[in-house]
Amino acid sequence: MNKQLRRAAYRTGMFLVSIALVAVFWELYKVVGPEKGGKLFGVAILPRSNDTAMPHLWEMLSRYAEPEMRGPHSRQIWLVVLQGAWFSFRLALVGFVIGSSIGVALAALMTRFKTMERGLLPYLVVSQTVPLIALAPLVVSWGGKLHIFGFTWPRWLSASVLGAFLAFFPIAVGTLRGLKSAPAASLELMDSYAASWKQTMFKLRFPAAIPYMVPAFKLGASGSVIGVVVAEISTGLKGGIGRLIIEYARQATGDPAKVFTAVFGAAGLGLAMAGLVTLADVLLMRNRPKETTT
Amino acid sequence: MSAVHVAGVSKIFNQGTPKQVDALVDVNLTVEPGEFVSLIGPSGCGKSTLLRLIANLLEPTTGAVTVNGKTSAQSRLDQDYGMAFQQAGLFDWRSVAKNIELPLELKGWDKEKRAARAQEMLELVKLPEFADLMPWQLSGGMQQRIAIARALAAHPPLLLMDEPFGALDEMTREYMQGELLRICAETKTTVVFVTHSIPEAVYLSNRVVVMTPRPGRITEVVNVNLGANRSEDTRAADNFFSGITAVREALRGTHADHANAGAVRGVEDR
Repeated sequence: MNKQLRRAAYRTGMFLVSIALVAVFWELYKVVGPEKGGKLFGVAILPRSNDTAMPHLWEMLSRYAEPEMRGPHSRQIWLVVLQGAWFSFRLALVGFVIGSSIGVALAALMTRFKTMERGLLPYLVVSQTVPLIALAPLVVSWGGKLHIFGFTWPRWLSASVLGAFLAFFPIAVGTLRGLKSAPAASLELMDSYAASWKQTMFKLRFPAAIPYMVPAFKLGASGSVIGVVVAEISTGLKGGIGRLIIEYARQATGDPAKVFTAVFGAAGLGLAMAGLVTLADVLLMRNRPKETTT
Repeated sequence: MSAVHVAGVSKIFNQGTPKQVDALVDVNLTVEPGEFVSLIGPSGCGKSTLLRLIANLLEPTTGAVTVNGKTSAQSRLDQDYGMAFQQAGLFDWRSVAKNIELPLELKGWDKEKRAARAQEMLELVKLPEFADLMPWQLSGGMQQRIAIARALAAHPPLLLMDEPFGALDEMTREYMQGELLRICAETKTTVVFVTHSIPEAVYLSNRVVVMTPRPGRITEVVNVNLGANRSEDTRAADNFFSGITAVREALRGTHADHANAGAVRGVEDR
């Protein structure tokens, strides 16, 4: 236990060090980088280092404590970003739940029927090549037409569905690999007990799949956040962090630090989702041999 | 009623294709209740296939397998046998006790009954204080003892073992052989045991079934007369060595055939 604790502390420390390194690099570039951008071997790739393109880190941080807009009754920006992040977090969570249910169900189906795997997997791969921006208006218009048993499609659900769309794929593929990872001898053992398919699934295949499912769910969690943020922007849904990013980006010439407050909010959102999965990982894997935990 | 009755059984994989393998041809074998029978032979002789046919994990191409007077399919459904493999195959996510309870859980036993039986089995394999440990905290020999406890948890009359001690070191292996004999004597379990170790087969068995490959078949059945009470002294006894010699000679005929067959086939391939 002590060893685990020390390892957790070490990893947290390394995370903080890596953030500090990025911050140092940012400020260093501001000192040495060309003010108006520059060319490297004839290609314009060096970003501008002026305060409009790259505001100082302390400006970004202090911006959190200032009001969102000029004028009375304006809330401080940290509160606005926090509320936006919380709004998007709930949408992403709904999307993650939908996406993981579909992903796990598809993986179970593909494990059960070999033909399903051969027939379905190519479509799943193709589905991920469809750009989200193209899909967003379609989902909104389909959802708007949906009225069953007094259920009307709320606008925010479209964003969640798009989050689910990005989340289900890594979860389906990872879970499929995990379900197939059960050793042949263990499957034979379950056969020798005349275990039903369901018993084999829940007592052997799923527990054996967990080390594969955890990283897949982490990918799915960040996918659901990206899906929701992009969907907010492309469907014009108000109240979330995606909307804040696009709004603040428009004001970047006059208030360059502002957009970064929202970007950090979105990053924190992704971390929070991944953190939830890590928590589940720690709980599920606490009794497993240490080699399989990452 | 015999514990296992194999009558005229053949098993052909990929029949009618270029990859056709005659794993077993016309095999007849009867195992009486309480008997310990080993299957021995070079790899590819079909000894594991024969064990899987008895376990109904495979269906014979021709012939019939009867276990405890029932079809092998019915006896699998009734859990009339327990099985142990070379890898202990304990589930990492279950405690030792919960691993032993697995077959009982699948049968729908209630919790108290399961726990009581698990403790009983742990005492049988002499690991009573290990119930709450996780499998990966145990040595290989201990894991294999838990696997045997799991195989016997439902008190099946028959135990099928596929090279269960193959991955253990020699000292642990000999200790486990002694333990297995004690456990089988206490529980009056019939055993069919696949191995490729001649001393192991002779030490454990009442009869050693010698098999040859291509096609897999039984060439000889060696009766071992070591009596009911075998101990570590048995390993130094004259009739232990004469048993080993008998099995080795039966196998050597096999090996000569094997080598010739290989040589001829090699010529054909070119």
